[in-house]
Amino acid sequence: MAFNPRKFKKILIANRGEIACRIIWTCKEMGIKTVAVHSDVDRDSLHVRFADEAACIGPAPSAQSYLNIPAIISTAEIFNVDAIHPGYGFLAESAYFAEICDACNIKFIGPPARVIRLMGDKIEARRVMHEAGLPIVPGSPDAVTSEEEGIKLAREIGYPVIVKASAGGGGRGMRIVRSEQELGKALETASTEAAAAFNDGSVYIEKYIERPRHIEIQVLADEFGECIHLGERECSIQRRHQKLMEEAPSTVLTPEMRKTMGDAAVAACKKLGYSSAGTCEFLLDVNGNFYFMEMNTRIQVEHPVTEMVTLADIVRNQIRIAEGEPLGYTQDDLLIVGHAIECRINAENPETFAPSPGTITAFNLPGGPGVRVDTFVYSGYQVTPFYDSMIAKVIVHARTRELAIARMKRALEAMVIEGIKTTVPLHLKIMDDPRFRAGDIGTDFMEYFLAKNGKKAAAQ
Amino acid sequence: MSADKEETGSRRARNAQRPAPSVNMEELRELIGLLRENGLAELELENEGFRVRLRRESAASEPASHGAAPPPAPAPAAHAPAPTPAHPGTHLGTQATTAAAQDQDLHIIPSPIVGTFYRSPSPTADPFVKIGSNVGPESVVCIIEAMKLMNEIQAEATGEVVKIYVENGQPVEYGQPLFGIRS
Repeated sequence: MAFNPRKFKKILIANRGEIACRIIWTCKEMGIKTVAVHSDVDRDSLHVRFADEAACIGPAPSAQSYLNIPAIISTAEIFNVDAIHPGYGFLAESAYFAEICDACNIKFIGPPARVIRLMGDKIEARRVMHEAGLPIVPGSPDAVTSEEEGIKLAREIGYPVIVKASAGGGGRGMRIVRSEQELGKALETASTEAAAAFNDGSVYIEKYIERPRHIEIQVLADEFGECIHLGERECSIQRRHQKLMEEAPSTVLTPEMRKTMGDAAVAACKKLGYSSAGTCEFLLDVNGNFYFMEMNTRIQVEHPVTEMVTLADIVRNQIRIAEGEPLGYTQDDLLIVGHAIECRINAENPETFAPSPGTITAFNLPGGPGVRVDTFVYSGYQVTPFYDSMIAKVIVHARTRELAIARMKRALEAMVIEGIKTTVPLHLKIMDDPRFRAGDIGTDFMEYFLAKNGKKAAAQ
Repeated sequence: MSADKEETGSRRARNAQRPAPSVNMEELRELIGLLRENGLAELELENEGFRVRLRRESAASEPASHGAAPPPAPAPAAHAPAPTPAHPGTHLGTQATTAAAQDQDLHIIPSPIVGTFYRSPSPTADPFVKIGSNVGPESVVCIIEAMKLMNEIQAEATGEVVKIYVENGQPVEYGQPLFGIRS
């Protein structure tokens, strides 16, 4: 056993899937032991296989396993861990969980509970970040409580407007409204959806930006007030507000704009007292105006594209920062080399997007220069219907965007997954789309793409 | 924990054959074979300043000396075989689950939560149940401690306790077999 001079000797990973494996890989490189937790249907998952220790914490439903705080803390105590990494989703943005970890003397690898709570309330987050200097989309500062109030506000802002859930995320509780007649019904349905999804029916209204790009800035901050950004990620290719593909750098950001947006995000995070890795999400309009949307106080699915172009290991930095180490980098150390693209491979029908659970009968991973695959499945693995449909991420890195697209194409062609349907064919088609190849993308891209391909199919 | 004791026994044996005082791998294998073939629960051998003790959880389970089996070579992720029993590290519950899998005629009481298993309400008290105890659905059979809370576990079945798969004070996972009941 190699001597490990680190503060953390053992970390529990309160997650599953590819991100649990991703965290284990870095822990292994750092000489830190890992504890996996899993539900009874995830017993054969790779994160269970590759962790040093593992325990089953509950049945398949997340509420009784991956969201089961007493079971996770109990496991942490049994294995005597120093820290818990929450990954993304599940408990990653639960301020309550972070507080319990603190109370149990287990370090939560993420920002302080206070900051998680503040950024979790989307209305408060916008107000606070606006005060901290980030531009925001014109809209109601507070939840809209009546239709009259909504109408008055929408007239001030000007149509189109968008109705959003205060506690929202993942596209639920959102409605685009183009005229006053539609507003009443939109407020009602968005509120009902929000109540069902988040147990909180409050909604707010803001200006709807046509054809915006979704650009986000990755930040890293230590516990001593130092903060830097790692540039942007372009995440405009989304379907129903769920990202499908991400790239870095963006084709439209000039070095000046990168500096402006990055510096603004860093300044706001410093004011907030942020620490650990985090992401400020912005909408970028066609005139180059950017508006703060929300902050994700955790590692993100698409973090590998930033890792590829900056050579940073974001998980490693999260752990180092949680150990109390100073950041050790300044903004001048930031390096952005080449271009990276990530495709999310989901167990879904590539045309209807219907989930496709089942047993993977054959599995081949692409390799070769500049290809990275983050996954937790293998040949013989049974994809269950209980969790997120994402089974792998294919990430490529090359000198230019054009080369990265070519590299992604050949990687996807070599990616063989049999027994279930996946979104690999969809990504292959996107790689060939002239608008995508030209970098002419916005959050409306998939709408255009699916309409175009639907028409083609009908014409054939 | 007596699970520790077993490990210590086998680990001592394993360490002993590196600078090799008086036992070799071949002899150890033979001993393990003897243990298994004769359905023995425990075997102790002493020889010129060297002692090895091998113990098995139950006649049906794997040999207690997991240390003796070489860990499976880490395969590349893509080609990893179905990993079920070959967890290279510690997986709570594997041993008891393997043992209980042989007892298909018994009603198994599984642990409803992850925590620490206690057979009695306090260290000095008598155990809730022993082999041969008769239980009803509401009989308390053990305590599982999780986050400093003592959770009393009920049998939820009627019959005689014929197997106890875990040792007092041992950590258990969700779904891990605790008792075997014959109704």
